[in-house]
Amino acid sequence: MGWLRLAFVMYVALTIIYFVTGIYSRSVRREKLEKEWDTDPAREGLTAQERSAFIEAGMVHYDKGLKKRLLWLIYILPTVGFLVTIYFINWH
Amino acid sequence: MWTKIKWGIRILLLVIVGLFLHYTLPQRDVVQIINTYNKNTPIGANWMFYSIEDTGTGVETTAAVRDIRYIDAVFPDGQSVMVYRNEDTGWFWPPYFKWDSSTLQAEATNLKSDKANPQWVAVTHYGWRMPIFSIFPNAVKITPVEGPEVTLIPWVNIIILGFLAFVILMIRRMWAQFRERMVDPALADVGETFDAAGARVENARKEARGFFGRIGAWLGTWRAKK
Repeated sequence: MGWLRLAFVMYVALTIIYFVTGIYSRSVRREKLEKEWDTDPAREGLTAQERSAFIEAGMVHYDKGLKKRLLWLIYILPTVGFLVTIYFINWH
Repeated sequence: MWTKIKWGIRILLLVIVGLFLHYTLPQRDVVQIINTYNKNTPIGANWMFYSIEDTGTGVETTAAVRDIRYIDAVFPDGQSVMVYRNEDTGWFWPPYFKWDSSTLQAEATNLKSDKANPQWVAVTHYGWRMPIFSIFPNAVKITPVEGPEVTLIPWVNIIILGFLAFVILMIRRMWAQFRERMVDPALADVGETFDAAGARVENARKEARGFFGRIGAWLGTWRAKK
């Protein structure tokens, strides 16, 4: 039963970490897109609607991208780490 | 004064974290095993430094006495000794997930040697030996090594500490991002509200000059807010 309790607590904690990291990652990407738009001299004088459309398009691209999928490592790495520990301590 | 207290708390926290890591992370001793045995061990106020109950290390003969396996060892200097306990860790802290204490005891007994032709082994363990509290480091793994002068690189600790440093760095960056994007704009808003309120007060004060002005201002307070 011990392993169930540990797994439950661990995955609850990892889910919180997953969401917080996801929010952070989105925020960083949004800031990058904003800066890209604001520092581009070719885009000077364009409307705010065009700016937000550009940013939303960038975020849609981010949602489909590799970087967002890499966030699954938050679940995968600890699981693999625990399994490797169990193997090396008890069987190796 | 305040800075001293702040630094005092910081240093205290750092020491606590350091001691915690020193207790929990694995360390390796190069030793020669001289004896292995079981002993009924009374566990009282020092329970924190033993495995939690029901991990299945030997039998708990009564509530407070546990039959625990021990390994005696001597360091290469031939004089200083170390006593390791050999207990399962179970599914709790520290997360070594060790269930093979019987096997480990057999390995330890197999690698036992006398002083004439010593067999040197590296004992991976965590914990401290503190005679006052009757606590012993828990042996996790035993591997034969060439000799007493072998160099062991603590890869596991390097990886774990590196990962911890990475986590702390990420938390700092996340906090900075949160402040930059969420807290600072909110504070700027509040600041603008304050400025606006200040301007309104200033106008009210200007209008309130003189007797009629004052009455007008008082009437003004009954008007609908724009």
